[in-house]
Amino acid sequence: MSAARAGSRERILERVARAAAGRERTAHPGNLGTRVAADPVAWFVKVFTSQGGEVVEGEGTLSAGEWLTGFLRGLDNKVTGVAVGADVPAELRPQLPVVAAAHAGAGISVAWAAVAETGSLILPSTGTRAVQLLPPVHIVWVPEGRVFARLEEALWELRDELPSAIGLHSAPSKSADIGQTVVTGVHGPGRCIAVLA
Amino acid sequence: MRARIGEYTARATESIRSEPGVRESVTGATLAFDRKRRNAYADIDSDHWRHWAEAVKNHTLTHLDDYLTQAEERLEANGAHVHWAADAAEARDIVTTIADDGLVATAVKGKSMLTEEIDLNPALEAAGIEVLETDLGEYILQLLDEPPSHILGPAIHKSLQQVRDLFADRLGSAPDGDPDTLAQAARRVLRDAFIHAEMGITGGNFLVAETGTVALIENEGNIRLTTSLPRVHVALVGIEKLLPRMTDLAGFLQLTARAATGQPIGCFVSLIQGPASQPGDDGPEEVHVILVDNGRTDVLAHPHAWEALRCLRCGACLNACPVYRQTGGHAYGYVYSGPIGSVLDPGLLGLHEAMPLPFASSLCGACFDACPVRIPIPELLLEWRREAQEQGLTPWKERAALAGLASVATRPGLYRLAGRIGARLGGTGAARALPMLGEWARDRALPRPSRRTFRELWREGIE
Repeated sequence: MSAARAGSRERILERVARAAAGRERTAHPGNLGTRVAADPVAWFVKVFTSQGGEVVEGEGTLSAGEWLTGFLRGLDNKVTGVAVGADVPAELRPQLPVVAAAHAGAGISVAWAAVAETGSLILPSTGTRAVQLLPPVHIVWVPEGRVFARLEEALWELRDELPSAIGLHSAPSKSADIGQTVVTGVHGPGRCIAVLA
Repeated sequence: MRARIGEYTARATESIRSEPGVRESVTGATLAFDRKRRNAYADIDSDHWRHWAEAVKNHTLTHLDDYLTQAEERLEANGAHVHWAADAAEARDIVTTIADDGLVATAVKGKSMLTEEIDLNPALEAAGIEVLETDLGEYILQLLDEPPSHILGPAIHKSLQQVRDLFADRLGSAPDGDPDTLAQAARRVLRDAFIHAEMGITGGNFLVAETGTVALIENEGNIRLTTSLPRVHVALVGIEKLLPRMTDLAGFLQLTARAATGQPIGCFVSLIQGPASQPGDDGPEEVHVILVDNGRTDVLAHPHAWEALRCLRCGACLNACPVYRQTGGHAYGYVYSGPIGSVLDPGLLGLHEAMPLPFASSLCGACFDACPVRIPIPELLLEWRREAQEQGLTPWKERAALAGLASVATRPGLYRLAGRIGARLGGTGAARALPMLGEWARDRALPRPSRRTFRELWREGIE
């Protein structure tokens, strides 16, 4: 940091302190405390799909990897190569060629958890960010029992084990910047599919 | 951004007369945003949420020095670099130095009002760096060399046909392309930029002090890409964007999205603590957070205007405003337009520089009802008007007319006489010759006053 910039830090903090000096210092009101529904999984499905996300449940008779392979082959765009997040365990990987994220038909990730009230998938950066963002379809495993009712609870649990970045994905990529018409898959994945384990 | 606020009246008039398409596009988009916001507020206890958000922001702003230093400490512990910029020039200098040190040739940008405010793009381009806006609306405007006209939808003043013509000319897309085809044409250009750019530049919706987390909200995924793929990420954050706790973020992420677009949360939220540091993480090697003042401490010191620093930049007040709807944002002549611009700009730039924005309002109060952090915009507009009057910044004709009115209104005999004259002359058009009233009446049909005054009617026993 240059001397001039060090000076800016002190000057800004001094001005901030001076501005607040004559003002009543109000207390923090505590947590917001949003409402809770009885069944977080059903609530998550409702909110996530209302925003354009898709939810599927894995088949019980097949292994997870076999089921995912069949599911990917059945998708409209006939996925032939996939990109897989570094933290996806072997049993959740499909039996398809692994290619670079920029060329993959689908990206496979595992969520740290899901959140019902916002319909969000919480994706840590240890899961390879390019996999979460570049392929046109994003498949996200949601581990069993990992659906929080409220975002506040999830962030409270996360705050002591934060990775360098977190992505909350709550819908496919969309924009209404052209003629106020909604289009999907603008920059990120055009389909976001949560798989409930 | 050089302010051209003094031209507001002329530019607003010109826009309404010569560009009816702008009014049509802006009205359609803002009414749709506002309807979604109302529905989203109806799904929650919005009074409780808005009071809570106001209280968290007030607490933060009255303890801001503590939270700024806590955030700095946490970010540095996470491996991020923290810089402080007193003004726009210093902020630009910091970014260009980081780019120079990192041998940056291309930078991709997420939508950020603060980078518009400090005129970052021209500075980077002057340093030989190619800058690409990646938000679809911002990309359209970059091709047109226009500033954004709305905090949230920067290109809402552009029609589908205008974008068709632009993309056909600049990207070679079909001249009759639908929005999906046009978006894919932009995606092809920008996808390549995301992969090859050395630097990603963003703003920051929030900065959480206890964890050193920069939070960014979006719908397209371009900000996630901007903060993930380039080797260097630079986030420019206004000093008022602090939140004390990670759990506060839960409420603010939801409230911002509900106020802005009526969504439960943005399609994508990025929570950034620092550079990539763990196995499997392919994120940036360097993260720089620049804390920018640029007039915010002046606003904080103002006895009333400091409340405008609660602003979340959701655009809800613009969408609710019947005045903004007529012209869109360009007429306002600065990056922050609409009701929030009319109370924030005088604080950031000085009241003289921001005239006549405090008067660009009907004081209907719709902005306050929409605001997720309950900024008393109508009261602040009145406060700025009072100060403008006190400082002699209003036109001399207006001051003379108001002094005359005060003189008449405080003398009952004179008031009665003036009332009778007014009633007789009201329908003749003579009022248009009077100072101030004449200005006001220039573009309006004046109501025809009653032939008899209220006092005359009262004596006759009105019911």
